[in-house]
Amino acid sequence: MKPFQYLRPKTIAEAISMATDYPEAQYIAGGTNLVELMKRGIASPSKLIDINHLPLKKIEHRYDRLRIGALALNSDVAKHKSVLSRQPLLAQALLAGASGQLRNMATVGGNLLQRTRCSYFYDLALPCNKRKPGTGCGAEAGINRTHAIFFAGNGFGGNEKSSCIAVHPSDMCVALAALDTEVVINGTSGERRVPLKDFHRLSTLQPELDTNLQPGELVTAIEVTDNAFAQHSHYLKVRDRASYAFALVSVAAALQMDGGRIWDARMALGGVAHKPWRYWAIDLMLRGQAPSEKLFREVAEHEMQSARATTQNAFKIKLTSNAIVAALKAATGIS
Amino acid sequence: MDIDHDAIPPDVPDEDRRFFLKQSMFIAGLSMAPVDFLQAALAPDDGPVGNAVKVKLSLTVNGKRRRISIDPRMTLLDVLRENMGLTGTKKGCDFGQCGACTVHVDGRRTLSCLTFAVMQHGSKVTTIEGLSDGEKLHPLQEAFIKHDGLQCGYCTPGQVMSGVACIREGHAGSAAEVREYMSGNLCRCGAYPNIVDAILEVKKEGAKV
Amino acid sequence: MNRQSLDNPSDPSLSRVDGAAKVTGTATYSAEYAIPGLVHAVLVTSTIAKGSITAIDSREADAVPGVLAVISHINAMTIPGWPPKKQPAERVPPGTAFRVFYDSLIYFDGQPVAMVIAATHEQAMHAASLVRVTYQQEPHRTHFEKNIAHSGIPLNVQRAKNSPFQDYERGDAAALRDAHVRIEAEYTIPTQHHQPLEPHAIIAVWEAEDKLTVYDKNQGVKSAQGQLAQAFKLPRENVQVVATYIGGAFGSGIRVWPHTMAAVMAAKQLKLPVKLVLGREQMFTSVGYRPYTKQKISIGAVKDGRLAGIVHEGTGQTSMYEEHLERTVLASRALYACPHVATRYRLLPLDVNTPTWMRGPGDATGMFALESAMDELAYALKADPLEFRLKNYAESDPERNLPWSAKSLRECYELGAEKIGWKNRLPEPRSVKRNGMLLGYGMASSLYGFHRHPSKARAIMQADGSVIVQSATMDIGPGTGTAMTRIAAKVLGLNAKKVRFDLGHSALPDAPGQNGSSTIPSVGSAVHVACEALKSKLVALAGEMPEGRKSGGQLVVRNGRIFSSQDDKEGISYADILKYHYLNELEVTEESKSGAERDQYSMYSFGCHFVEVEVNPLTGEVRVTRAVTCADVGAIINYQTARSQSIGGVVGGIGMALMEHSEMDHRFGRYVTTDFASYHIPVHADVPPIEVYYIDKPDMQANPIGSKGLGEIAIVGVAAAIANAVFHATGKRVRELPITPDKLI
Repeated sequence: MKPFQYLRPKTIAEAISMATDYPEAQYIAGGTNLVELMKRGIASPSKLIDINHLPLKKIEHRYDRLRIGALALNSDVAKHKSVLSRQPLLAQALLAGASGQLRNMATVGGNLLQRTRCSYFYDLALPCNKRKPGTGCGAEAGINRTHAIFFAGNGFGGNEKSSCIAVHPSDMCVALAALDTEVVINGTSGERRVPLKDFHRLSTLQPELDTNLQPGELVTAIEVTDNAFAQHSHYLKVRDRASYAFALVSVAAALQMDGGRIWDARMALGGVAHKPWRYWAIDLMLRGQAPSEKLFREVAEHEMQSARATTQNAFKIKLTSNAIVAALKAATGIS
Repeated sequence: MDIDHDAIPPDVPDEDRRFFLKQSMFIAGLSMAPVDFLQAALAPDDGPVGNAVKVKLSLTVNGKRRRISIDPRMTLLDVLRENMGLTGTKKGCDFGQCGACTVHVDGRRTLSCLTFAVMQHGSKVTTIEGLSDGEKLHPLQEAFIKHDGLQCGYCTPGQVMSGVACIREGHAGSAAEVREYMSGNLCRCGAYPNIVDAILEVKKEGAKV
Repeated sequence: MNRQSLDNPSDPSLSRVDGAAKVTGTATYSAEYAIPGLVHAVLVTSTIAKGSITAIDSREADAVPGVLAVISHINAMTIPGWPPKKQPAERVPPGTAFRVFYDSLIYFDGQPVAMVIAATHEQAMHAASLVRVTYQQEPHRTHFEKNIAHSGIPLNVQRAKNSPFQDYERGDAAALRDAHVRIEAEYTIPTQHHQPLEPHAIIAVWEAEDKLTVYDKNQGVKSAQGQLAQAFKLPRENVQVVATYIGGAFGSGIRVWPHTMAAVMAAKQLKLPVKLVLGREQMFTSVGYRPYTKQKISIGAVKDGRLAGIVHEGTGQTSMYEEHLERTVLASRALYACPHVATRYRLLPLDVNTPTWMRGPGDATGMFALESAMDELAYALKADPLEFRLKNYAESDPERNLPWSAKSLRECYELGAEKIGWKNRLPEPRSVKRNGMLLGYGMASSLYGFHRHPSKARAIMQADGSVIVQSATMDIGPGTGTAMTRIAAKVLGLNAKKVRFDLGHSALPDAPGQNGSSTIPSVGSAVHVACEALKSKLVALAGEMPEGRKSGGQLVVRNGRIFSSQDDKEGISYADILKYHYLNELEVTEESKSGAERDQYSMYSFGCHFVEVEVNPLTGEVRVTRAVTCADVGAIINYQTARSQSIGGVVGGIGMALMEHSEMDHRFGRYVTTDFASYHIPVHADVPPIEVYYIDKPDMQANPIGSKGLGEIAIVGVAAAIANAVFHATGKRVRELPITPDKLI
């Protein structure tokens, strides 16, 4: 690890001015991803701005939305009363991720910004467009069993030199993507809000960029608008072992039901794309319908028409389809 | 061969004078020293003080306040093991993927390999060495022995620290819950069922953990 | 029958003697010795699989504050025990252990090419990242399937006519041809890694120019001592190896590996104590692995369910420079009464590091194929898999035509079947659901050869009546010290608290390394005979005392005291005897080894596993929901630690069956699964309650304590039992491990 200077700002403004003054600086919060990246030489900030002492831990419900400070810990969010009562899908997704220890360290902001788990990204000796643009995507013709099946447009996200088939590793973000979430960002020119769908990027021409965050900007909170999904939401995670593993595929399903029919439906998929993959058409397909396995199968297969396998992950298309069915069954309570 | 013994992190934590001596020498020789560092060096009570070579900070470890000056790159795990001689906390993977380095920071179970020690300035850290009450073992330590919740013993301190937290958090309600909430602690010998038994027994008997 | 289960123990167990040290964190592992002046080493490893180093630029690394040296083949010391280097460098012939920093040649990706030594770990890590190595790359072969044509009879086997790995055939091949039902199938297990939680680590200290002490993670201090003494041309006693606590190994510590040599070399060159701890990613290329193995089994039976023939072929991968052979196909010769059996074993050399023994070496691999094939054949015969096995039960060893020294496998089968509820199982695959999950039951047999090596133990009676027993054996986790304490306490009639057992130091009496389930049979026997000898000496000395003379030579030893007769209420304590004879201590050292019984009997440990699985029909996720494991290993020395070992074997088998898979990108010849996030081992949530049962009938033909090995049979067969249960649950036969969701949806 390259030596770094440790900085501990006391205010948000101070933090942002530090990050703006030193382009080679990086913010650190929980550190659960960044410390590993630094140990492996993938991130090598010469200045580390420890934001843990900024007043960004608060979780509160105000007006029509739940506001969660960027420094709120994953474990605190998962057990917070307002989260459990208003957005149980978020709690479920958080608890499906990582481990008790990691959830105690990882922050909401850090979770939004965690980097892919693609093995090629983590090994300096292997090619990776995300780590080192222009070196090629190691996974594309390599080991890609766990890689993406949904891409921007029709292609793999650009030409060969810029392609990246890595997937976003977060569970939390998949739940947030299914809900109406805004990311609150502070920078030198003040505060701005970005809908979560526009926060993460698909790997187009610049796979090195995971998000649309600008240099020096700091995520200060997320806000989730109230909804009527609490009774019929489900987070399903499929993985290679029973716990403490990244998703092969995950499904966040949020439905509103009344009188045995579905009146509103949101869904996002994890482990299948460079960002949490929102299934936009699902609402149209389910609205007004009575739940049935047959319907769910049609709905699942509809979205899978645009999925595209690489060399080793064709199974993920069927697995995702099955997982959508399973998640919808669980959310609607049909057997 | 000559070695720069000053570059070796000190075994003895309290060494303020030496630290300041070295700091002032360092500053004098550093024409490009960042302004914030120089300012920080003048206000030692505000937080960890230092530069990219050494920082000075204090931690309370197992109830004892320790002032140390270290390379900022040192993780809490390495400080515990290499500088404080607290080798009960284990390095299994160094990437937060095995749980062997689990300690309690301000009462929460934390992976000490994924946090820089400097970030924990002012924190209260409890390691496996600080869990027992002198010679009297913690009830979960006793239960681990009784149920043979260990074999090689390497993951054991992490399992115990995590298990105590699991009970305190209220996640030891059933075997399935314990298994899920303990899944961040890998055991290659496969002592899992015995560990679960130990945790459930302590929870059931309601001893103060 | 004396069937015992810990769930209802009739025999209290001794808690792990080092349990308190381990739960309080005071147990000291290899990297944890506080040696003054210690410096830190970090390895730089190759990023190509084959070729040679053309340059090493360490200028940037050297400039890092605190860096003491960058060692590579360019400046490494000459190891006196190694042959002189050739100019230009030549590739070694197969059969040559890899020599670290010896020349410029690259044999595998991940090979150590340089080592940075610095005052602190952080400095060494940073400098290691700055060492620039350039290579002349050559085309490599790492892909097993694509290179299978290069496999052949191992050179070791070609040279040794009596090698057990020679092609084998008994009976008439026509029997299999004419079988009523015949199955032919291929089974594949991928490369799997031991990955003990403690990474391999060493602290090397040269106490003097010709005196070396290493604190090294290994499974055999005596063997390591010998190998290091030989390399540095030192008298054995000048080399001491300390390995008191070992954080798991499972076979990864049987050899002295290159990194150990590297640390010892650096310590010698720098004249400083050097600590080297492997990074988790380095654990994938430094300390061996269970080799990728492909097997083909042809198996057939006649109508009534008797086996007609088994042909078992296996090919395992090895490195280009060494042959690693294992028992892959051998179990097929001995497990069943079968008139025709043929086995063939081949090796495929690849540009990879050498594999090594991993828990249940060969047999865990081979039994996955054999017991899967047996299951397939049972279904084809419409027979119950358990009854099919019982029908082909071998009453004597069909390979060696010898009686078993003891075999209670039938009792194991019966016990396991009863506990899992086998008789309630519906035979039809994919016929039962529980809570929406497909439910299945499977079973498999287990066997592992008996290994007993010459071992010594010293027993020292102290003036206070307590005893110290010593042997250079090891404890990588099974609880060696606990079992030995129990043996000694039993012989001497002492409370276990009065026994201390020392291990893990090369200065102690000779003992084999901890491998092949040989520790209890070998060292346990030595401890037994040493304590018996000590007791005899004590009895003789007691006989010379006034109280003893009263007995007329009929002394009785009971509860750690010696009595003149059965009616004697008082007796003499061991302490009294030493005091009377003005002795500070009384010491005996004894050796124990096998004798002619090995030629008269065939000796194995036996067992079986029964599992219940649930498979999610939509996601293909498999969960083992129950496991019952039964073992016949002769006498159980200490129930609690034995049970833990059996549980651990099943957990290892769950990993092998369901998730463990080291994947390589063959374009680079480099592993891409190099951490615990990508190389999955079971976590708490993967492991159900595991029931353990022992037959516990001493096998007195085997050794004086009647006990055989347990560590290996605990895992052998588990993967097959799970695969068989998955077939029962889903109707899908998975012949390539691991059984991940992609194979079931």
